[in-house]
Amino acid sequence: MTAETWVLDLNAGPIFEQIGKNVRMQLARGDLVPGGRLPSARDLAATLSVNPNTIVHAYGELEAQGIIEKRRGLGTFVKEDAPVETMRMDMLKEIAETFVNEVRQLGVENAEAMAALKEAWDAG
Amino acid sequence: MLARLQNVTKRYRTTEGVRDLSLDFPEGEIVGVLGLNGSGKSTMLKLIAGLLFPTAGTLTVFGGSARGNRSRTVFLGETDTLWPWMTPRDACRLMTGLYPDFEPHRFDELLDVLDVPRRKTKAMSKGERGRLRLAMALARSAKLYLLDEPLAGIDLLSREKILMSLVREWHTDETILLSTHEVAEAEGLFERAIYLRDGRLALDVPAEQLRQQGGSVVQTFKEVLA
Repeated sequence: MTAETWVLDLNAGPIFEQIGKNVRMQLARGDLVPGGRLPSARDLAATLSVNPNTIVHAYGELEAQGIIEKRRGLGTFVKEDAPVETMRMDMLKEIAETFVNEVRQLGVENAEAMAALKEAWDAG
Repeated sequence: MLARLQNVTKRYRTTEGVRDLSLDFPEGEIVGVLGLNGSGKSTMLKLIAGLLFPTAGTLTVFGGSARGNRSRTVFLGETDTLWPWMTPRDACRLMTGLYPDFEPHRFDELLDVLDVPRRKTKAMSKGERGRLRLAMALARSAKLYLLDEPLAGIDLLSREKILMSLVREWHTDETILLSTHEVAEAEGLFERAIYLRDGRLALDVPAEQLRQQGGSVVQTFKEVLA
């Protein structure tokens, strides 16, 4: 596990939320898979230079959301039935909503926005 | 409660170190003690360490006097007091003689983690000496660690190593008070940030709360202490 896998911005909201978002993103992308093992709170804390309690907090939230589980003496794992596809779609929806909101603030029409989106997509 | 300050004031001959400080430090916190030069950070840590005595107010450490519990707190001061001829091996012997809670085995591990060369301190860089001093402090097994500017004046790589070993070595029932100017680098480590200004408490806040409100420990440093 390297620091590059994890994206953390100390000016972008609570760290525990960002850790949660990182795990969901890694699952959505397939970097993490159901049944896969997460780094121990201590290891991740050391890698990211953050307080171990913050990682414990983040893992606790993910556990409550049914995404991960602790296995006694073994570590923390992604649950076999973690709703990966739902998370993927939720994230896509969230990104789409952000896009739409910003486009609306620009005062741009639907067709024009879709054309720009297609153009950017094809260019990338 | 590991340490409790109630309206603590420390006056020096001409200046005031800290004024009317009231703070509680329970078990299991990593606390950033933040402020500009002369804001009272060192004075506060030295009071808790039992190296200074309050002019007014009540200070209890481990339920008793700070001075009486000096052997139970770890204090790492700003001044480098290592003898030039001293090697890490000598430091180990010295610390073992001074402190019953010093663990030579842990010290050796820390020397490796912190990448401290096994040579005389006069042949070490400032960063290497800083890392050696931290290894000496962290190899003691205590509940309360008072670290005064362990990141000051040393290179970036040393600072990163120090922060990483703090995360690794910290046990969840121990409390670390860490004063620093390098707020940005250490900010993720702090659960709680204490801002001092002119010897007074300016703000005492959970770090995640600052971020919840769209801020950060660094940004608040600029706002509170500007």
